[in-house]
Amino acid sequence: MPLLFYHIRPEAIPKTRYLMGELAADKHVKYIISIEKKKDNFESVVMEHLRMNGAYWGLTTLDLLGKLDAMMEVLFVGGFAGNIGHDPHILYTLSAVQVLALFDKLDVLDIDKVSNYISGLQNEDGSFSGDIWGEVDTRFSYIAVCCLSILHRLDKVDVDNAVNYIVSCKNLDGGFGCTPGGESHAGQIFCCVGALAITGALHHVDKDLLGWWLCERQVKSGGLNGRPEKLPDVCYSWWVLSSLIMIDRVHWISKEKLVKYILGCQDLENGGISDRPDDAVDIFHTYFGVAGLSLLEYPGLKAIDPAYALPDDVVKRIFFAHRHCRSDLSLARRRLLLKLAVVFCN
Amino acid sequence: MSEHAYSDAKALDLLNELERILGSDPLIDEVGFVHPSQFSTLKEAAGGSASSQDISEHENTNFWIRDHKLGISTQVLLPLYKAAKHAFMAALREYKTSENLPGNSGDDSLESEIMSHSKALLMLSCDFGTAWNSRKFIVLKKQLLPMFIDELLLSALILSYAPKSERAWSHRRWVIHTVSGNSILQRIIEGESELVEKIAERSKMNYRAWNHRCWLVSYMTKEQVLHQLEKSRNWASLHVADNSCFHYRRRLMLRIFEDVCHTQADHSSGYNLKFYNIWKDELDWNEALIKRYIGREALWLHRRFLSSYWIRHIATDLHGVSYQFDFGSFIDHELFLLDSCSTIPDDDFEDFQAQAIHSATYIVWLTKQIHEPQRIDIQEKLRARDLNRLLNKTCPERSSLWDCLEASQV
Repeated sequence: MPLLFYHIRPEAIPKTRYLMGELAADKHVKYIISIEKKKDNFESVVMEHLRMNGAYWGLTTLDLLGKLDAMMEVLFVGGFAGNIGHDPHILYTLSAVQVLALFDKLDVLDIDKVSNYISGLQNEDGSFSGDIWGEVDTRFSYIAVCCLSILHRLDKVDVDNAVNYIVSCKNLDGGFGCTPGGESHAGQIFCCVGALAITGALHHVDKDLLGWWLCERQVKSGGLNGRPEKLPDVCYSWWVLSSLIMIDRVHWISKEKLVKYILGCQDLENGGISDRPDDAVDIFHTYFGVAGLSLLEYPGLKAIDPAYALPDDVVKRIFFAHRHCRSDLSLARRRLLLKLAVVFCN
Repeated sequence: MSEHAYSDAKALDLLNELERILGSDPLIDEVGFVHPSQFSTLKEAAGGSASSQDISEHENTNFWIRDHKLGISTQVLLPLYKAAKHAFMAALREYKTSENLPGNSGDDSLESEIMSHSKALLMLSCDFGTAWNSRKFIVLKKQLLPMFIDELLLSALILSYAPKSERAWSHRRWVIHTVSGNSILQRIIEGESELVEKIAERSKMNYRAWNHRCWLVSYMTKEQVLHQLEKSRNWASLHVADNSCFHYRRRLMLRIFEDVCHTQADHSSGYNLKFYNIWKDELDWNEALIKRYIGREALWLHRRFLSSYWIRHIATDLHGVSYQFDFGSFIDHELFLLDSCSTIPDDDFEDFQAQAIHSATYIVWLTKQIHEPQRIDIQEKLRARDLNRLLNKTCPERSSLWDCLEASQV
């Protein structure tokens, strides 16, 4: 029996846009805060397993825009938090660690517990599973390496072996896939290059070959796609661009055309950024658009670290600043932060 | 009726009805979320095949079922989701508590409740990982082959409306990995390839789907790999822009090459020759496609792989085969292809311009992959063609790359 529903889906209705030219920062701040307040429709409840990632996307964007304070109030009234009762998975762990790093509150974590959870997911061949059910993916390698590095616990895993596994996922085009033999994909490449950068193993990357593949992701409109023959998408402004920066080949694409493309994907009326001009905006693409502009040194944005995907000053604080004494946290704040932490510690 | 008008009791009725439908028709193979106004379109689309009794029995404004197709009204999604999640989470909590009691080996009725609620929940939220996990836990405990097969069916059903659902794909891999010791594995693998092709047909360049098919390669027998290479060829020539399908072929070819290397010890040069022919065939076929479908990036990328691998491994690694690899004539052939593709008959015609860019970058890329002294040979031949000017003119946004390449040639 042929498929039936597939043919009767309503088409997405394009939105009207104003002329574009520059980053509508204030609109984007308003947009991010508004999503947090509106949660009772089907589209948002079915995404609830991703709420922790949403928190990271929203909050990092606000920080890059220099507006993290705007969220403080919303967040501490109840806000994003994690989702209790769901099974732990390494995907949510990184977002939670990144969010706590943003607020300089990593000390609310039971760091040993978190790092034991992550190191327990490493397999004999050096790969990482996403959870106890064993799915393996180089994304999980990145998450493990990035989290443990932020928590200063990389010594908990076999780093050489982790690097070997990532290298075994390298393809003849210079890119990387999910598992050995998997097709090269810009998102997977970011994860592999990021993990190799963090572990000081970038010499395993053929920079000219990979750089060539990555710069061929730029299409005529200036936007970047994630694989050959695909349409451009704002999120690859992050995955491709950060990879090019890490391997020092970012001058192989046209930065001006990419800036123009990202700015063209803004909703100037209601805020937010979409994957392509005239599509509906979402928090995921809003984050990647702003993060991409930050990598492109767009004026007025904080710089972001291409490997850790956190603002530069946050990364500096993690690795260079001495830990200061725990500041006075209000009870409500502390309760919320513990709630955030509980998602992956339960 | 507004979404908020549903009381808890009414929402529970909806859930019960959905679970009853799911239970009564195990062959449902497609689910769709349908706006109430589209229910009438559905009736027309389905035609008058069903008897009038069937219609009156299953027809209301919330669900629609006919010919193993289940439609759910978009108006009831939210209350239905809330009820399903609540019922599932409550059953799971109770189950976990009972599991932890000493001497208790789990409660059968609780288990079937979890299986039923998680199924309803996944229909509404396909990436609800906790629901997938609870099913894995119970199926693993029961160790019954039909239950594993049911999980493949459920995952296929979810993929019918959410072809990119990561959790649904990952659930399949978990099932296949878990039953991989069973003799049924080879039959499952054949079915998996068909499923991927069916999904890839309407979900173009679906990375998750093709990645799943690539993952299967390591579970295939030698014969299956050869069969897959043969079988996927037709699909590929009908979808020449789908890089994922060509990558799948690359994965298969590399696996065949691995097998050749393993059998070399047995001096089975017959298999080597077969492999040589496979590679040569692929190069010829690719060239024919390049000439038929002008300006397709995926075809040229496939050629990069074929040619560089051919030069680096096949020509040198396959011993005991009675052929002589002539590097010079291979390169001459590629340069001939370049010349035939790099002329742009009409500047306004985008496809030909793309073809010229792809052919020029192909040959420059290949040159980079070849070691000296052969590289110098090709560079000599390319100098006369002034590719840099062509590339800088047609593809100015990558001028730094072209400059960098030119500098490295000096």
